[in-house]
Amino acid sequence: MDSFNVLVVDDEKDFLQALVARLGLRKLNAVGVENGLAALEHLERAPVDVVVLDLKMPGMDGLEVLGEIKRRRPGVEVVILTGHGSVESGMEGVSRGAFAYLVKPVKLDELMEKIVKAYEWKRMNQELPPNDSD
Amino acid sequence: MQKLYRRLANRMTFISLVVALAPLYALSAGIYFYFSGIHQEQLKNELRTLAHNRVSAIGLFLDERTSVLEVLAQTSSKEALTKPGALEKVFGLLNRRSWSFLDLGVIDSKGRHLAYVGPYPLEDRNYSEAPWFRHTMLRGTYISDVFLGFRGTPHFVVAVKHSAGSDSWILRATIDSDVFTRLVRSAQLGQRGDSYIVNSAGKYQTPPRFGGDILADCQLCMQSVPRGINVVERVTPDGKHLLTAFAWLSKKDWLLVIDQDPREALGPLILARELELAVLVLASLLIAASIIFLARRMVRRLEEQDRQRSALDAQLAHSGRLVSLGRMAAGVAHEINNPLAAIGELAGLLDDLIDEDFRRNHPHGALFKENLTKIQQHVDRVRSVTHRLLGFARRMEPRLDSVEINQVLTEAFSFLEREAKLKGVEVDLALSQDLPSLQTDRAQLQQVFLNLLNNALDAVEGGGRITLASRREDGEVVVSVADNGPGIPKEVQDSVFDPFFTTKAPGEGTGLGLSISHSIMQKLGGSITFESEPGKGATFFVHIPIS
Repeated sequence: MDSFNVLVVDDEKDFLQALVARLGLRKLNAVGVENGLAALEHLERAPVDVVVLDLKMPGMDGLEVLGEIKRRRPGVEVVILTGHGSVESGMEGVSRGAFAYLVKPVKLDELMEKIVKAYEWKRMNQELPPNDSD
Repeated sequence: MQKLYRRLANRMTFISLVVALAPLYALSAGIYFYFSGIHQEQLKNELRTLAHNRVSAIGLFLDERTSVLEVLAQTSSKEALTKPGALEKVFGLLNRRSWSFLDLGVIDSKGRHLAYVGPYPLEDRNYSEAPWFRHTMLRGTYISDVFLGFRGTPHFVVAVKHSAGSDSWILRATIDSDVFTRLVRSAQLGQRGDSYIVNSAGKYQTPPRFGGDILADCQLCMQSVPRGINVVERVTPDGKHLLTAFAWLSKKDWLLVIDQDPREALGPLILARELELAVLVLASLLIAASIIFLARRMVRRLEEQDRQRSALDAQLAHSGRLVSLGRMAAGVAHEINNPLAAIGELAGLLDDLIDEDFRRNHPHGALFKENLTKIQQHVDRVRSVTHRLLGFARRMEPRLDSVEINQVLTEAFSFLEREAKLKGVEVDLALSQDLPSLQTDRAQLQQVFLNLLNNALDAVEGGGRITLASRREDGEVVVSVADNGPGIPKEVQDSVFDPFFTTKAPGEGTGLGLSISHSIMQKLGGSITFESEPGKGATFFVHIPIS
């Protein structure tokens, strides 16, 4: 599998660090930030393929961050990973363009599967330019 | 019926009875007394008229007898009348026209009976001491009270005095008391009525039909009877109720008494009263029966409604408790999920970092590895608990929205659309456009559709096909999710909705998706069914009621 760039956004520091380290061990270029603003800044500076995004964060709310990412970088795929899960917020996220929705705590294998699928989806869309225009 | 409701029913019955029957009774009594008053007044008037007529007739009868004797006395001489055969001739002439004279006599001024025609041997009697003789000599005309006299039977006489010149004599006739009694009794009314004449001394002058003989004392206080014609209600000393007319004769101090039995006279009124009473009793019984029946039925219905309402209240209170319990559980689950995720990831990281070398060479390497795995297993256990709690909380709180089924279905599809494309699965949508908006729980329906779509997606391989369809069908909307996967084996078809039943590989499914979907649909008043032919796929149908 190719290595690709993953940005993890979560205000839970211990969780963030551990997850970033584990994704790194699985040969992904994973970077962690603790809030939405930092995430958007990182997006300006460095290439990102998939964002793993928490919904409930201080400052910018996860859904706002999602909207902003999709506005600035429509090609970047987002996997929502939140502790405050409900069908409605999941639907809301997906309808705003998120690729998948997972509720914490999640098995790393499940998360990896979604991240990889999101990356494959991104690549597939890049190969078909007309579909990438939205 | 419970005591409280029985008391309520009794009170309702009582009040309704009073309200319904009191005016009825008051009206009936009013009508009865009004008409009986009119009727009694009419009866008295009739009796007064009758008394007036009869007293006039009796007066006329006596006047005529007196007049004929006066004419005879003034136009004849004593000598002419005392000639042998002359008085018989006159008497015969008088009685030919039924003048009802019993005898006729000529008496001179000394009281000697000069001539006599009649059934009694009264010739040569001397009447100089008789009261009627002295009265006649004094006044010229006299009608006596009834007396026994020489003949010893009750009778009364009419006497007139001839007083031309110095020679005066008296023409005297006895009235046939049978004829007179018949005349008086012609005023009698009905079977129990009576009519008779009483003199000023209170003695019967004609025999009454009931309670006395002629010349016996009448039980009337004569002084208390005013002059003229009077109608009174009275009670006799032997307890008889009577309606009585008293009428004094104008020429003679005789009182005509007409008694009428009020029960007889008021017969039609009494019949009317009894009819009215019967109708009243019947109506009261009907009204009472209806009121009792209706009150009992109403109270029974009220009791039933109260019972249902309290059952509903209890159910609502129970649901309310479950909802708050669910909210609390959801709050707890949310709060636990974040630290739990951190624990899981931290342990996972350590687990990732412990390599074979460390495990073998470190004195506790194997223990580290083993315990880290256990920590992650326990995190998994807690996760399944918190996820179940979140689902429970959601199911405890159904929320009704106006839901467009196609929209919910499309959203659920878009949730899995990317995954389906990645897997190379074709998804067809066959949505009916004439579906009504439904009042149901949108989020729970989404959960159900997502579960079914997830299962379908898991069931098919690359190149498979899933068809999502919606249609309207007698009173419900039916959503179907069909796949062309391997289908459901016959032997497990009975248990697909059982909790924890799964055909997925261990760790892939909880076995709760269909069971939760099934219970959600039951709660929303609908159902889930399926058809499956092994080898050809499966179709799940979600039935959502329109009302």
